Amino acid sequence: MSKKIARVQAGEKLFDWLLLLLSIGVLYEAYRIDGGLRLNSAGSFPVGLGLIMLASSAVILLSHRYKRRASEITTALQEAKTFLAEHFKPPIVAFTICSIVYLIAINWISFYVSTFCFLAAMFTYYRQGRVVSSLVITTITIAVIYVLFTMVFRVYLP
Amino acid sequence: MSDTVAYLLMAWLDPGLLLLTGLGVLAGIYVGAIPGLSVTMAVSILISFTFSWNINNALALMVGIYVGGVYGGSRTAILLNIPGTPAAITTAFDGYPLALKGEAGRAIGLSTVMSVIGGLIGVAVLAGTAPYLADMALEFAPRDYFLIAILGLLLVSSLSGKSLARGIFSVALGAVVGLVGMDMVTAQPRLTMGSMELLGGIHYVVIMIGLFGVAEAIYQLHNLAKIPVKQKVSKIVPPLNMVLKFLPLSVRTSIIGVVVGALPGAGGDIASLFAYDHAKRTTKNPSTPFGEGAYEGLVAPETANSAAVGGAYVPMLTLGMPGDAVTAVIIGALVIHGLNPGPMLMIETPHIFWFTVGNLALANIFLLVFGLTGIKLFSKVVEVPKAILIPLILVLCVVGTYSLNSNMTEVYWMLGFGILGYWLKVFGFQMGPIILGVILGPLLDESYRQAMSSVGNQAGDFLLGLVTNPLSLVLTSVITLVLLSNTPLKPWLIARFKRG
Repeated sequence: MSKKIARVQAGEKLFDWLLLLLSIGVLYEAYRIDGGLRLNSAGSFPVGLGLIMLASSAVILLSHRYKRRASEITTALQEAKTFLAEHFKPPIVAFTICSIVYLIAINWISFYVSTFCFLAAMFTYYRQGRVVSSLVITTITIAVIYVLFTMVFRVYLP
Repeated sequence: MSDTVAYLLMAWLDPGLLLLTGLGVLAGIYVGAIPGLSVTMAVSILISFTFSWNINNALALMVGIYVGGVYGGSRTAILLNIPGTPAAITTAFDGYPLALKGEAGRAIGLSTVMSVIGGLIGVAVLAGTAPYLADMALEFAPRDYFLIAILGLLLVSSLSGKSLARGIFSVALGAVVGLVGMDMVTAQPRLTMGSMELLGGIHYVVIMIGLFGVAEAIYQLHNLAKIPVKQKVSKIVPPLNMVLKFLPLSVRTSIIGVVVGALPGAGGDIASLFAYDHAKRTTKNPSTPFGEGAYEGLVAPETANSAAVGGAYVPMLTLGMPGDAVTAVIIGALVIHGLNPGPMLMIETPHIFWFTVGNLALANIFLLVFGLTGIKLFSKVVEVPKAILIPLILVLCVVGTYSLNSNMTEVYWMLGFGILGYWLKVFGFQMGPIILGVILGPLLDESYRQAMSSVGNQAGDFLLGLVTNPLSLVLTSVITLVLLSNTPLKPWLIARFKRG
């Protein structure tokens, strides 16, 4: 009978360590609250939560201690490459960067202009360069957003 | 009595509420059906637009979307083998094989009728039990609330993910985020890292939109090029004898759905799994083997996940504890409208309870109508490519978050939570426990401090109270059992018990 080997994803052990660090950070912040170590104070519950996070992240880390990576990953460099290939695919990177730029741009060039630029860029990129149809879809979308949110829901937009 | 009936029928008799409930159900079916969109995402975004509305109007729309959305996920599960919602995963086991056999129309029709039966049973249980449970809840001490919240969070942790440790971490992380800001008792800043902007806390709707909207949108980018295979649909309305044949099974699985749905944190997805398992174990001669297109395998999860909606409302309206992620979001909506979900809701605003009951029943009637019609339009809408859908989701998230307080910083937080949620999702963490932690964290903190104050801050007395008060003892025992059942002690104990 073949036994299925439990494996961890590329980058998962690093993520486990990050969770542990986050837990330590939360515990430190909770400890800084006045009365954090007293049983009934503003800090007691956050300290408890910090301890729970620390314990559970340690359990997660330990549970992965002896699990193997995929058989084709033998070095740290290979793992880094696999991780980047899986999670930093061009559509994801493009979306994340464009989202950040879009949110920053809202303050400078208004919601509607930045939304138009963001949608037009994303539609064109994801639809593999179909510029004209992407611009048409963007225009229709912006019109629908305007009617729905500005006119019907009366949402104030920047 | 006459007031109760008037509140119960309010949504049925008011044209505006009727329209909003109908629109909600219709929108919910499509939201639930389109992979990448979720009911929780829709309701989270909707809160920010409806908080200035009359509460009845806002609730009518949300209830409609919730009921429609839970059902909508099954359509794509049957037609495309892509469950639109986690609650429809089990529907695909037998629904898709039925579609491959050319029985997609019959499968959709039967799943619609069974969903409505399950939904109505759930509403009946809600109406019958919630008032009594709320009366009982008035007798609960802060210590009991603390234990119930702990139990809810433990159940969420153990039922909704790869491992208990991940679930507990998610819940604690959510609770930590929920506590950020000024302490309401001592006015001390907590977990603000010295930032003045964080003194007011992070609005939970911002967190919800980030985790359910942006994180899901980024996650869906992994399957950008996936093209679903369509099925032909005909003969949707199921014959009466077919409905009657599966009625006993649907009643049984509805009860499973209501009970599982009422457990804090265990929603329609877990209810449908339990129901499918029940159908598999109790059906001796299925119409076709399970997994190959058995109608029993379609009926059981569909009734259970719809019945779980009514079940999820029970702890939400009586204890102020969400039954699942959507009810966690709806709690947020009630709080925004100045209401107090919990036992006091029944005393202070009973009309909200009876209005919700009547509205849920109405939404199920709309579900029957919309579920059995409009299939051609439906097949067009679910074909909207992700290339268009995903950027649009981000824009909706931005509009939803900004409309809360007209504050761009909250929009940046929303994106931050979205990116965090994506990485958590990638490594097997679920979003539901985090949101339940955000909602229940402050409640836990408050009830813990009240409980400690009531025993003069004596830890010994607090611990003694856990085993001397009958309700606290039951709750403590259940918590211990849940914890033990998730440790390596469980198989050891079972083995010893069998040997004994």
